[in-house]
Parts: sequence; structure tokens; C-alpha cells
Amino acid sequence: MLPCSVISMIHVFQFQDKHYVYDVGSGALHECDEKTARFLSGEKVSLSRSELDEIETLEKEGLLYAEEVKTYPKKSDKVKALCLHICHDCNLRCKYCFADEGAYHAAREMMPFGTAKTAIDFLLRESGDRTTLEVDFFGGEPLMNLDVVKQTVYYAKEEAAKRGKRFLFTTTTNGLLLNDETIKFFNEEMENVVLSLDGRKEVHDAVRKTPNGKGSFDAVIDKAKKFVQSRGDKHYYVRGTFTAKNLDFADDVLFLADQGFDSISMEPVVTDIEELKIKEEHLPIIEKEYERLCVEYIKRMQRGEGFNFFHFNVDLEGGPCLEKRISACGAGNEYFSVVPNGDLYPCHQFAGDEKWRMGSVFEGIQRQDIREEFAKNCLFTRKKCGDCFAKFICSGGCSANNQHFCGDMNDPYPLTCAMMKKRIECALHVLAQRKAFQERN
Amino acid sequence: MIKTVAKPTKRNITGCGECRSTCQSACKTSCTVGNQSCERVTRESKIEKDN
Repeated sequence: MLPCSVISMIHVFQFQDKHYVYDVGSGALHECDEKTARFLSGEKVSLSRSELDEIETLEKEGLLYAEEVKTYPKKSDKVKALCLHICHDCNLRCKYCFADEGAYHAAREMMPFGTAKTAIDFLLRESGDRTTLEVDFFGGEPLMNLDVVKQTVYYAKEEAAKRGKRFLFTTTTNGLLLNDETIKFFNEEMENVVLSLDGRKEVHDAVRKTPNGKGSFDAVIDKAKKFVQSRGDKHYYVRGTFTAKNLDFADDVLFLADQGFDSISMEPVVTDIEELKIKEEHLPIIEKEYERLCVEYIKRMQRGEGFNFFHFNVDLEGGPCLEKRISACGAGNEYFSVVPNGDLYPCHQFAGDEKWRMGSVFEGIQRQDIREEFAKNCLFTRKKCGDCFAKFICSGGCSANNQHFCGDMNDPYPLTCAMMKKRIECALHVLAQRKAFQERN
Repeated sequence: MIKTVAKPTKRNITGCGECRSTCQSACKTSCTVGNQSCERVTRESKIEKDN
């Protein structure tokens, strides 16, 4: 097994018997033989003239050792998206919930329509000349406040039409309240639906419990399947969480795929709960698990039984522009969370933490200092990312995670970084294998 | 032996800002920009294909 290494601006890595070179500056991916991989890793290996010529040609074409473009993003001060915490209450009591089982460390409450309406007005006003705006209905469980979700959607569409704008709506739901009415509404109005399911029944039930302590798998699974079958070609993701209790999470992803879900993400838990939190000692197991998932993922793709796993997508040919890649997520500057009383926070993971309250939809953004801190945030303010091969794909990670684990939004959490790098290597391998398969067929 | 698997068709540096915010995608905790596509390029390719 060759060691992974970052040399100058290339990353040489191995996945099973395949050797790859990812050029950080250009974003090109190359496959090579072991001898070339060793040579590019800095080992003393003799290459033939023709092998050296191949490398020199790629260098001349700007696809190997390409110079990294260093430009700070032109940060927009226009707001493009809001996460509306339409309901700070939940009909589940998931053990790992970062939102205090839906309450966000405060009283359980619903967002009134008046507040949601003012939030829409705020977004329309603060969006300047942007034409496409986004609203995510989030909670707690948004379907517990369905009437307000509906009123908000209809109001937003009407007001957007007057201004030549449009909204893309997303709802994140645990699925318990899915029925014919909610499914119809989602399919008509939601551009994306994120449905929380953790995988195998025993895994799901161990953490996703009802208020009386029962597992929720049986109450959700058939509803989720019915919804997805009705979804047609519209976007959705079944989104799971894995914890220290199910480090064999590839089985949960594959279980979900076997249930007919073909758009899946599975995220490491963000929690301080000792028995659930991901620790450094888990990392080798998690890395192996991503590899195992990757191998099966490719096999299924080749058998025509493929599905989409969010973290194995990487678009090197038509992916995001450099500006986007170095700007990170936009939280706290062009994206805000709005809690039920109308207060604004940089994103849902900061919601309820008074020191990050930035104002409200009624009074506008009052903490310009916080906004400026987020606005200047970018890949290049995250010093530890400088020599990382993954930087133009991950953009320096999640500000909230960095803040939560390291106390500084510009200080990436090493454990998250390690998982990210492994997922990216898997994604690059998937990309190469998909192309090879398409060429053969 | 070294062969190119994928390379950017066009190195687009300046952002049009039309893409959706990263946090509206699938994960809500560990979203990465690189898992997304350029929405403008995707849209333009679709129009081209449709024509």
C-alpha cells in the first residue's frame, strides 16, 4: 500500500489496485501505474523517456503541478437563502439531536405566519437583484406547523412573481406526518425534501425515539417509501446520521438503497454525548467503511442497480466555479437561520446561542460585526487548509463544526477533515470507475 | 503510464452566484461545495441538449 502524500500541488493516492494523481491547482484527475505513482510521490524510481514525456506533457497542458489560483472571493452582501425554523418542537426525541430534541434550549414553540411572512419580506428586500431565492423549512419537525408552511409558500410565490424572482423550497422532515396531503403538497411545491432515516431498524430505533421512548422506524418507513415512489424526478435525499454505535454504517446506506431509496446521504453525528460521539480511535474503522461502501457502490452501478450517495459525487468537469469553491457555505452573510420569534442566526447550528444572535427579521441585521466575520471567511482564512489536497472541494469545512469543536470557525476539526479526505478519495475513485465503465459499454 | 480521467472543461473563476447555498443540499452538517454542480452550466447544458 502506497502512502497518501501531498507533494507540491498534487495528491497521489491508491484505492485498492488503482493509483491516482489529483492535481489540486487544475482540478484534474489522472490514473497511473504503480511506478509512476511512486515517482510522483517523490520516490527514487527510474521512468522511461516516454513515461517522463507523458508527465511533461500534462505539466505543459496545465494539468499537473498547475499553479493554484489565489484570489479572494468577491463576497456579495445580498441574502440568498433562509432556513426558517418553522417549528421548535418535534414529535421525536432523537438522542443525538443538536437542536435539543427540537426545542433549541428554549421553550417549544411554533413560528407564527406573521413572522414567516416578515422573513420572506426580509429575504426579498435583502436579496437585491438576485432572482433565485431559497427557503428551507426546518425544525424541530416542520410538518407540525404545516398550515404556516403552506401559507408561507403561497405568500412567497405571490410576492416573488411581482418582483420577477422565484423561490426554491426545501423541507427537512422526519417523515412521521407524511400522508396523502403532505406528499401532494411536497411534490407540488418543494424543490427538495430531506427525509431523516438512519438505516437498519435496530440502528434507527436506538436513537430516533418517540417521546414515549419507542423506536420510530415502523412508523416512518412505509410513509417514506410511499413518498419517494410518488416523487418522480424531483429531488429528495434520505439523510441518515451515523454514530459510534453504528460504525458499520455502510450497511445502513446499503439497507436504505435496498428499500428503494436512490438518493442517500449519511452524515457523522455532531454531538458531545460520550456513547455516540465519533472519536479519533474510530477513524480507521470509518475509513475502511467508506472504502467498503465505495466498492459495493461501484459494483451496483456496474450492475445497473446504482444509487446516488451524496458524498461520492464530485464534479471535476462542470463543478462549481472557483469563486464558489473558496467562498464556503455563505452562512452568516448570504444565508441565515430564522428562529420562531424572528431572530436571525448565522445558520441552524448556531440557533439559540445568544452570542451569535445577529438581529431579527423585524429589525434587520444588527450585528454587522458578526456578518463581516462570516463574510471574510473563506478557504484562505483557514490557514491549516493551505497544504491540503481537498481544499478546493471541501472549502475548509463547516464553520459551525469548526466553531463547535475547535472554538474557531477558521480552525478545521481534524477528525472531520480526515473523514472528508477519505470521502473525496472514494468519490474520485467512483468518478474514474464510472468513466471507465461508460467507455467499455 | 499516466492518463487523464477528468479535467475541468472550463476553469470558471468568477462566480455568477446563481448556485444554491451549500447548506440547502443533503446533509445540513457536513456539506461540501465540491459535491455540487454548477447550476448555470448544468442548466445551459440541458437547454443545449433539449435543442
